[in-house]
Amino acid sequence: MATHTPHFPDLLFSGAARLRRWEGLLMELLTNAGYLELRSSLVMREPHEKASLRFFDGDHLLALRWDYTTALARMLSKRFAEPPPRVSYAGAVFRRASQPWEPVERFEVGCERIHTDQGSRDEADVELARLLMAVPKTLGLRAAILQIGSAALLRSPMEAEELPKATADAVTRALLRRAPHRVKEALGDHPAAPRLLAHIEALLSEFDGVDGLQALDRSPYADLLKDEREHLGKTLEALSPFVPEGLQLRLDLADVQGLDFYTGPTLRLYAPGAQQELAAGGRYDGLYPELGKPWSAAGFCVRLSPLLDMAETRPDLFDSLGAQDL
Amino acid sequence: MTHPASTNNDPILIAFPKGRIGDELLSRLTGTALALDEAALGSRVLRIPTATPHVQVLLLKGTDLPRYVAAGVASLGIVGSDTLDEMDVDLLELADLKFGACRLSLCGVEGLTLEALKQKPHLRLATKFLKATGAWLKREGLTAELVPLQSSVELAPILGLADAIVDLVQTGSTLRAHGLVEIALLGTTSSRLVAARGAYLADPGRIRPLANELIKLLST
Repeated sequence: MATHTPHFPDLLFSGAARLRRWEGLLMELLTNAGYLELRSSLVMREPHEKASLRFFDGDHLLALRWDYTTALARMLSKRFAEPPPRVSYAGAVFRRASQPWEPVERFEVGCERIHTDQGSRDEADVELARLLMAVPKTLGLRAAILQIGSAALLRSPMEAEELPKATADAVTRALLRRAPHRVKEALGDHPAAPRLLAHIEALLSEFDGVDGLQALDRSPYADLLKDEREHLGKTLEALSPFVPEGLQLRLDLADVQGLDFYTGPTLRLYAPGAQQELAAGGRYDGLYPELGKPWSAAGFCVRLSPLLDMAETRPDLFDSLGAQDL
Repeated sequence: MTHPASTNNDPILIAFPKGRIGDELLSRLTGTALALDEAALGSRVLRIPTATPHVQVLLLKGTDLPRYVAAGVASLGIVGSDTLDEMDVDLLELADLKFGACRLSLCGVEGLTLEALKQKPHLRLATKFLKATGAWLKREGLTAELVPLQSSVELAPILGLADAIVDLVQTGSTLRAHGLVEIALLGTTSSRLVAARGAYLADPGRIRPLANELIKLLST
């Protein structure tokens, strides 16, 4: 079947120079924070990811690197007995576009904070959020919003209610759309429906800052989520004194993107006026145990492709994009 | 609630669908802060100003509308849930506005029953709602050949293109005019307020008050 292959972007002079410069600035930021660069192979031997670009090398089906975190995790779990605590990366990942305007080749810079003791969790989450808070200024963005959420806020109640997987997936899809009416449809006459609907109403209520966590008081699962709430509260309090000018820190309790991957706090970076998420990350404590290592991890990746588009279409969102910067 | 001052002074675009839902929408907004400019509506202008400065409306075909919103061209939109369910687009669905409600029904010529259709060795159903029909067939444990059609679906069972159709039914008058009846209910649909994920989350100070205003004006 013929396939339409959208957007393998060619970067012309200014775009190529901007990519090189931004990669350099972000890697310098990460290096100064103690993160060491790793470069995983562009080719992955596990071609199972549905969105990956696959090809045959002789009889072997291979895939282009579709996700840096996964590629690094496979490399680190095979090659290291103890994890390097801080790693960074820069390069392209290739994923089939789900929308016609999305590129297949996506440029990213990111980092991973890996640890073996649970005691390092709070410190690692704050460290990553502080680093991400520095990204907008590093790239010359005038204003940005860093939203903090937690995958546990939906995951834990659904697990406690032993929701069947199909129902849990439908609830997650509905909340991903921030559509409480769809959540109601998905839960149907499940005995936990009234409790979960009240919880989702609490997650969708709009609050900002540390006070936003008070919304969880109205949740039937307030006790169950006590630890996660405390962790989020501590993280927000630790970050508040360091919020740079032009950046707003917000709480987004209803962030359930990547719920099958993230296990704790999540981070998302936006710029007012931009239509896309510019960076994303969070805690994913399930990945390394799946690969046989009892390690915990969190990280984020800056999506340079939408930023490059923004530099062309919305230069007014940046302080410094002049030719002298290139 | 505090939000960062937006650096974006562009007008906010809201996408409205043409047709059945659009007509109802325009009449509901008459005399409100989001009423459409009558002179522009009567012209060939594609971006219609509203009574609120910096808020403009795009009138789009329903099936195109979700793409405009998902791409962030329009920050908000109103569209039938039937259209959303047929398309795989990433957008937020902020509210069920309830109006423009329809039944999505299996329909056939008078006298035809669901049991009779289930007995057919090769069932053919004409519809433009391929995903919803496929999901219903799966739930019922049936297989069928789906005949994709975009309009005048009622002709299909009359002229022998299909055994029955799956289509939206509001009052049933179009069905009756063609000698067709509803055989089974697949689901119900209504209009939904949708938002571009990026715009809604990145520009809360601009988008959320407008979304709340639309919900207040249009929810029934």
